[in-house]
Amino acid sequence: MTNISYVDLSNHWKHEKQELLEIIDEVMSNGIFVGGAIIEEFEKKVVDYLGVKHCVALNSGTDALVCAMIGFNIGPGDEVITPPNSFIASTAAIAHIRAIPVFADVLPDQTIDPEKIRMAITDKTKAIMPVHLTGRMCRMDEINAIAKEYGLVVIEDAAQSIGSRFNGVMSGAASDIGCFSTHPLKNLNACGDGGFAVTNDDAVAAKIKSMRNHGLVDRNTVEEFGYVSRMDTIQAAILNYRIDHLDDVIAKRRSNAMLYREVLDASHLYIPDESEEYFNTFHTFVIQVDRRDELAAYLANHGIQTAIHYPVPIHLQPAAKNLGYGLGDFEATETQSKRILTLPINQFITEEQVRFIADMVNSFFEDSGDE
Amino acid sequence: MKVRYSYLKQQFEHADDLWQELREFVETGDFTLGKPLTKFEESFAELMDSKYAVGVNSGTDAIKLALKVQGIGPGDEVITAANTFVATVGAICELGAVPVFVDCDDTFCMNADLVEVAMTKKTKAIVPVHFTGYMTDMRKIIKIAEKHDLVVVEDACQSILGAIDGKKAGTWASTGAFSLHPLKNLNVWSDGGVIVTSDEGLAEKLRLQRNHGLVDRDTVGVMGCNSRLDTFQAVVGNWLIPEAKNISDRRIANAAYFDQHLGALDPITIPPRPDDYRIVFHLYIIFAEDRDGLLQYCLDQGIEAKVHYPVPIYRQPGLAHLGHKKGDFPVSDEHTKKIITFPCDQHLSREEMDYVIKTVKDYYEQAS
Repeated sequence: MTNISYVDLSNHWKHEKQELLEIIDEVMSNGIFVGGAIIEEFEKKVVDYLGVKHCVALNSGTDALVCAMIGFNIGPGDEVITPPNSFIASTAAIAHIRAIPVFADVLPDQTIDPEKIRMAITDKTKAIMPVHLTGRMCRMDEINAIAKEYGLVVIEDAAQSIGSRFNGVMSGAASDIGCFSTHPLKNLNACGDGGFAVTNDDAVAAKIKSMRNHGLVDRNTVEEFGYVSRMDTIQAAILNYRIDHLDDVIAKRRSNAMLYREVLDASHLYIPDESEEYFNTFHTFVIQVDRRDELAAYLANHGIQTAIHYPVPIHLQPAAKNLGYGLGDFEATETQSKRILTLPINQFITEEQVRFIADMVNSFFEDSGDE
Repeated sequence: MKVRYSYLKQQFEHADDLWQELREFVETGDFTLGKPLTKFEESFAELMDSKYAVGVNSGTDAIKLALKVQGIGPGDEVITAANTFVATVGAICELGAVPVFVDCDDTFCMNADLVEVAMTKKTKAIVPVHFTGYMTDMRKIIKIAEKHDLVVVEDACQSILGAIDGKKAGTWASTGAFSLHPLKNLNVWSDGGVIVTSDEGLAEKLRLQRNHGLVDRDTVGVMGCNSRLDTFQAVVGNWLIPEAKNISDRRIANAAYFDQHLGALDPITIPPRPDDYRIVFHLYIIFAEDRDGLLQYCLDQGIEAKVHYPVPIYRQPGLAHLGHKKGDFPVSDEHTKKIITFPCDQHLSREEMDYVIKTVKDYYEQAS
């Protein structure tokens, strides 16, 4: 039996071993572990890649969201609208600064529904935090229009969507500020936690730069208290190498996705369509099916590891109890949470493996159709 | 001769075995809360005579999370030292709590006798800062905390393996916060921190907080954050931890040598060195007459002397809303004029120390 794991970081390492060992060796012999030219080089590369004015390297994608909100003076009691089907970090970042997460349900493609955003706006609303889940961008034209109408800040959670585009605009560069993660499981990944925020706003960028380093303006002056959220120099060095190869990673994931679409029998499942507007980068490849758990078990029995992103919506998590939501509040999210299944799509999977997985999905439905 | 302040280049000059361990580690892909982190946490707890250690992203986060899991939040008053590094106060402010300052004494730590004066009905916690490698008098702090039912988080970021009466910094209170920043006595290659506790419930809460509140992959028990100690950095920590005791011993020996020779100079005053304290000298600070002149002369002679810190935290613009003014904490204020920091690390050679001593001597001789 072939074994196809959902993710295999050691495999990733094998492909780049020679280059990365040299890079780590160089950083180590320099003795510069916090800040320095390597961080600046990374920030410059991101600025060039995304076509934005500023990038601030941080310790994680979660911290990028926290810093972005504080950068735009969002604080205790302010409401921030975000989808309930995300990884916990988006909502937790809002809770962390003692703002109030307000959920808006999602479209069939799992991105936040602009009309639901409009309905969730109150006089306390200060910001919208769309999440480009799976590497597919939210409908930023409509979201920005709503934000403009109500005078709201838009903070993109682009943790899963580096390089994605909607109507030609890069994720993270499509609003006031974009927040990215470079966690080991991301398309642009380090060997530990990391993240960054991008913006065209000079003052906000300067504020976040100070905030990541205790709020220090210089060695001896604190204007406003901050955090410690610096990207590790060693991780930045790894990212400097990998960002040069990011387009290859994205191309491979996109070609895997195309192959899935070609081989999977569409009559058994739903995959968001890929119209001209979208350039998706497939951090994850998610199908929506009936009998999801049975399919996952069937695939596991054939050596195929799958995942679910995410089986329990945030509004139904124990930690969200005090937000006052309950079952039935977000129908699309809740229905999808029972139907979504993530198939392996990373850049190291072969065409043969993708075909095998797609065939197994098809045969699950065909075989059971015969019963 | 040049006497540098940072010794990181020397520290990793002979690290072929670490290099090998890192090669092996990166091949595993075990990057997030991986096995080397668990190993580091076990070794660190053992080193500290504590039951549990939880690795986090920084010393600042260690203080913040330790306060948070013990219920400190918006509006609560937290008593801390008027002369600490910004991180202590930043951590308190991040929680929406209010820092209330207490002046230090000549050990650079909070004067425990002034703590009760600073208390109000809103006081919920004390964060004694074991500044420079000294320790706050924890015998007194613990008594006060018990009497008034206050949470205590020790800011032990600068005092790894410091002790009073043989009991280590960070283990006197329910929780102790440490930093692994590259300039600390036990360090990694980036930001990093650790919290020690012997309370299993607190350890569990801390583990939740640092990892998004995730009880398991799909269940969020509490709203948390992302403050993990990188597993990559834990490999570095594991490599260095057997050296921790030697590092502090070496610093103590260097400080004794400086004390003996610099203390013999009239314009220099050595801070108190109580017998029951084990001071680990993250920073070697002494009092000097004509400090600014001496500092400039040392810098001109290639010695990277420093001042920790020229403006006490309580007078920073970031705390203007608290309404403090110069003179509120006279000992801290007085120190800013007299203190000077010399390199004292484990990689400092006898020649370098003698050069520092000679330079200080030369300065005062030439001035007189």
